[in-house]
Amino acid sequence: MTQPPKVGLFVTCLVDAMRPQIGFATIKLLEQAGCRVEVPRAQTCCGQPAGNSGDKRGAAALAKQVIAAFEGYDYLVAPSGSCVGQIRSYPSLMDDASWRRRAEDLAGKSFEILGFLYDVMGWQPQGVRLDASATYHDSCSGLRELGVEGQPRALLDGVDGLEMRPLKGANVCCGFGGTFCVKYPEISTAIVSEKSANIVETGAELLLAGDLGCLMNMAGRLHREGAKTRCFHTAEVLAGMADGPAIGEEA
Amino acid sequence: MSARDDILAAIRAGLTHGRDGALPRQTPAQIAAEAAALLADPDEIRPVPAGPDPVASFIAKCANPALGVTLDRVPGWAALPQAVMAYLASHDLAPRIAVSADARLDALAGAGLETHRDIAPLEPAAISVAQWGIAETGSVVIHSAPDQPILNAMLPRHWLVAVEEDRILPFLDDYAALAAPAPRNAVMITGSSGTTDIEGYFVRGAHGPGFVHVLLISR
Amino acid sequence: MADAAFKTRAHDALADANLKTAIDRTTGTAETKRAAAVDAFPEFQAARARAAAIKDHVIANLDHYLIAFEQNATAAGAQVHWARDAAEAAAIVSRICSDAGAKIVTRAKSMLGEEIGLPHALDDAGIERVETDLAEHIIQLAHERPSHIIWPAMHRTREDVAALFFKDHHPPPDADDAASMVASARRVLREKFLAADVGISGANFLVADTGATCTVTNEGNAELSTTPPRVHIVTAGIEKIVPSTDHAMALLRVLVRSATGGEVTQYTTFHCGPRRAGDADGPEEMHIVLVDNGRARMVGDEFRQMLRCIRCGACMNHCVVYRQIGGHAYGGTYPGPMGAVLTPVLDGLAQSRDLPHACTMNGRCEEVCPVRIPLKTLLKAWRLRTWDEGLVEKPVRYGLGLWGFAACRPRLYRMGTRMALPVLRLFGRGWIRKLPLAGGWTATRDLPAPAARSFMDQYERQQKEARK
Repeated sequence: MTQPPKVGLFVTCLVDAMRPQIGFATIKLLEQAGCRVEVPRAQTCCGQPAGNSGDKRGAAALAKQVIAAFEGYDYLVAPSGSCVGQIRSYPSLMDDASWRRRAEDLAGKSFEILGFLYDVMGWQPQGVRLDASATYHDSCSGLRELGVEGQPRALLDGVDGLEMRPLKGANVCCGFGGTFCVKYPEISTAIVSEKSANIVETGAELLLAGDLGCLMNMAGRLHREGAKTRCFHTAEVLAGMADGPAIGEEA
Repeated sequence: MSARDDILAAIRAGLTHGRDGALPRQTPAQIAAEAAALLADPDEIRPVPAGPDPVASFIAKCANPALGVTLDRVPGWAALPQAVMAYLASHDLAPRIAVSADARLDALAGAGLETHRDIAPLEPAAISVAQWGIAETGSVVIHSAPDQPILNAMLPRHWLVAVEEDRILPFLDDYAALAAPAPRNAVMITGSSGTTDIEGYFVRGAHGPGFVHVLLISR
Repeated sequence: MADAAFKTRAHDALADANLKTAIDRTTGTAETKRAAAVDAFPEFQAARARAAAIKDHVIANLDHYLIAFEQNATAAGAQVHWARDAAEAAAIVSRICSDAGAKIVTRAKSMLGEEIGLPHALDDAGIERVETDLAEHIIQLAHERPSHIIWPAMHRTREDVAALFFKDHHPPPDADDAASMVASARRVLREKFLAADVGISGANFLVADTGATCTVTNEGNAELSTTPPRVHIVTAGIEKIVPSTDHAMALLRVLVRSATGGEVTQYTTFHCGPRRAGDADGPEEMHIVLVDNGRARMVGDEFRQMLRCIRCGACMNHCVVYRQIGGHAYGGTYPGPMGAVLTPVLDGLAQSRDLPHACTMNGRCEEVCPVRIPLKTLLKAWRLRTWDEGLVEKPVRYGLGLWGFAACRPRLYRMGTRMALPVLRLFGRGWIRKLPLAGGWTATRDLPAPAARSFMDQYERQQKEARK
């Protein structure tokens, strides 16, 4: 039998501070799928805020930290399409040839959790049950940079008792956009308000997505509008950890 | 330096001292070969024909309601006057029509139709003969010439256009292959004039004809 | 300041419910029609890749093709002019008009004409300018600029248009439905088409091997603008070159489907020189003005791929930001994602530094782009320049600097998190409704309170316990 793959979990700064449960759900899923999981201590942020603001040097410094911390693993896996998208773009930040090689090496083995479970590990949920109706939003980076589209849907299909409802404009951006949502709050609010209207229209009890930034944006708007929709990361549902408080609910 | 020299120099500077370093310049023969290679395997980049042969495809395309076209099959030029009369009558139009100088339209006069060469600004109906038809899109093509006034296709409310079956080309590229030497003005017309400029609603007959009637002439 | 100007324009646009209705109607229809056209054309992805390759090939050999085009157009009897920038281009057109003694000039919609300020130049020259595209006619009556590159008057509802036409059309339209108003415009403009001395059009393609220019319209106004007058002027960007008519057709297939969802435009017209001996109609002179205006420089910088753009408008129809604020808020000739890349080229980055930042980077624009322009990458390139040129706001710069400093020191970062989380939780457990310095978020959204202990703290504690 071959060695189980050694996976370094990239927690992401948002999950670290805002919703650790997503990180634990990711570990649980990776272990169920037969991986050995470690959480390198020398990790903080993937560098998106700097990269998206045009600060190439700042982004490159963080990139080097991530590369050094994770290059020894078989895979880097994170519960966020946008962080993995950023990590896959590291080669473009490196001016130095040897760093670029190391960046390319890491980019080639970095995956978003749901795509990794389905495409790489061939994992399927067994005996997971959640009696609820839910709708799913495609977070843009996962969808367009990593091709995460069918995988979460196929995996959620294996959750007993879960009724999935289609979301109008599921592949349309929620208006988060990282720093965009605070730099241009009025535009961002207009965008997320259309999204929340579509979510409410499904009548689903739960909203699921694969990126905490988008989830916080949609959950925050839904709650401000008085909607009852509860929001979870897809990994929490698949790990059987969606029976507790949803995003924003007091523990 | 002239504007021309400045612009060409700037382009060459960009091509030879670009961000990605100096690029090797190609010879004209290499450029031509690369341009030709970009047209290889045309079936990979064009739609599947709508019918078993170009004429059937053309007819199928013209039936697309979005084009706003009607089509009559006419058994030879001799039957044209009757087809034109029938069309005008079906639209409650007087049997008068503006014609181009194409000799094939001469027979219209005297077959109960009144024809004239000078087109009026608000002409009710005119007829032209198209050089080509294109099956891929249901288009007809007219080429400016002494006997082909472009305005006859643009000014009337009802534009009738005769095209011979054996002038129907399968694809846009087949027409393109015939484009050199180019006529002064080649107009590929696909359906009636229309606009969606007010709230996206489609309205027929914007500036050009509101009605296009194709008379497909068999030999 | 540019920043305030963009935000003010966006704010005003967001407050205009009428505008939102107008945008939704047009872009919604465009999105649906494009999707249907792409679904009906399984070869679309291959055609897109080929279209991008054709444009790249042209740009890599742009000097060669421009010279070939000039030779062939000249041989066909057209006069070719070159203009370095907008002012030079507008001056050339004005001079041709005055040489022709023009009193009335008809214009068929061309975004390049807008880019070079042609409407103003003609007005200043005292020439009666008649915009013949229905949407351009509407905005001429309203004294506005286009808000979309395909539907320039898309910000105007039918009721707005009716008000304009009832005021300016004599006799007025029969009714205020779209068909009656189109009929009224047809009546008004028909006289002008036939009375014009000069007709000005743009070009979708410049065909190098024939010297022809190609213009596509659905209304037929290009033919009517260019056939009756004595003089026909074409203004075109130098990137519009294609090697042959065949290549133009390959681009046309993806252009029209992406723009309006049709397979081909109703009128696709190729002009090759002035009227020939014996021709039944057509202009006596044909002038082609080749306009650089920043394009040649793009050949050599990181924005080269933007020269692929064929101006279909799909990127803006699918842009969440454009669909909220419309075209005018962008402040340049070209709005939406393609405008956010081009406007800094045309108007300068300092004037338009917000545009590359006012984007969520969701990538839907490049997903629909028929020539696969990496719009996200190009917008990021502008963000890089705004950072390098000191055009990023100081608080953002310092904030990111502080964040980067801590994030590069994991132990410090962890300590900071340990201190910050309890402080944040003072503002609420569960949901935070108001948070100092985070008004951008909490003005309109609740913020989920952070965890009491970070993932890293919890995980390390678990690991320690497991080792006991």
